[in-house]
Amino acid sequence: MVRANGIELHVQRLDPAGPAPVGRTGPTPTAVLIHGMASDTMASWYFTMAEPLSRAGFPTVLYDLRGHGRSDRPATGYALDDFVDDLAALLVELDVTGPLLLLGNSFGGTIAFGYAARHPDRVAGIVAVESSPPTPEWMSRVRMRLERVAARLPREGALAEIGAARGRIAARRAADTGRMLADTTLAAELPASRLPARDAIAAIACPVLCLYGGDSAVGELAPAVRGLLPQTRVVVLPDQKHSVLIDRPDSVRRHVLAWLGEECGIEVAPPVTT
Amino acid sequence: MAAAQDSILADLTEMINAVLGDFATDQVITMDTTFRDDLGMESIDVVSLAGRLQARYGDTVNFAHFVAKLDLETVGELRVGQLVEHIANSLEGDGVPAGSR
Repeated sequence: MVRANGIELHVQRLDPAGPAPVGRTGPTPTAVLIHGMASDTMASWYFTMAEPLSRAGFPTVLYDLRGHGRSDRPATGYALDDFVDDLAALLVELDVTGPLLLLGNSFGGTIAFGYAARHPDRVAGIVAVESSPPTPEWMSRVRMRLERVAARLPREGALAEIGAARGRIAARRAADTGRMLADTTLAAELPASRLPARDAIAAIACPVLCLYGGDSAVGELAPAVRGLLPQTRVVVLPDQKHSVLIDRPDSVRRHVLAWLGEECGIEVAPPVTT
Repeated sequence: MAAAQDSILADLTEMINAVLGDFATDQVITMDTTFRDDLGMESIDVVSLAGRLQARYGDTVNFAHFVAKLDLETVGELRVGQLVEHIANSLEGDGVPAGSR
């Protein structure tokens, strides 16, 4: 646990196993993995990308967002700025001073863009899975989704239904999400967040990779993302849903590693077959 | 079961109960206990356990590498015994008898 921005955040770090791959020049960015809102935790990244990134030579940092996983759950303080403040403070506490490779799942991607809008010189690349920069259009979708979840979970029998359909652990996780939405101002505060100026987002100059599931509505935002950030590489994975990161980690991994080499000029070690 | 594995299982049992906190059951944890179905551990609980393993055994036990061969689905099917064997093998590979740590 690391104390940052006045709360305790659950952090895990994975350091690269060996020396940087031959042919790599310049400092290797630190990879920071940011999970999504409400039912998500760092585990989604831990069991999908964390180890491949550390094996590719990136010092890797994972954390549970405030209110989530094993981090503190203050009653208030759930606007985008609070999440960006947490990330900035955490990096100071961890003494991570060099360039950053930010990877965000769903709203975690939005936090990555929010951080980059404030600290454009720190960010060497952004990977956003099923996500968007903080735009009014995206935030209204976030509002609808949070309202739906907040209305569904307290309903009588909702947890039993989830348990019957998806098992005991899914029900326990849903119960925790329900408690978070009941005990915090997140559902009201997050959609009402102050957003960065459009110009500040458009000024993000680093390479951007946006991955979408073909069956998810979030991909409808891709043209708007390219309008803001024309350097964005958009990849749509056919037949995939919003949970593409955990459903197709192999595809996500392949696209991220290819993009790192092709767009960021960061050679990654060839995959080790074990 | 080797004595080294015995002591690792005892260590691991203590860490699992610490991770589960209020959710800890009073069942006896054996080599055949599964993390998800028997212990009700969520993926984030397994991550938390990994952090404790790193603190206890250092980088010798590369838990992340071990679980990277699994995915979110199969990590739930993981048995305690698989982890005990991985730790024992890692410590032996390090040239230090596991029992002496």
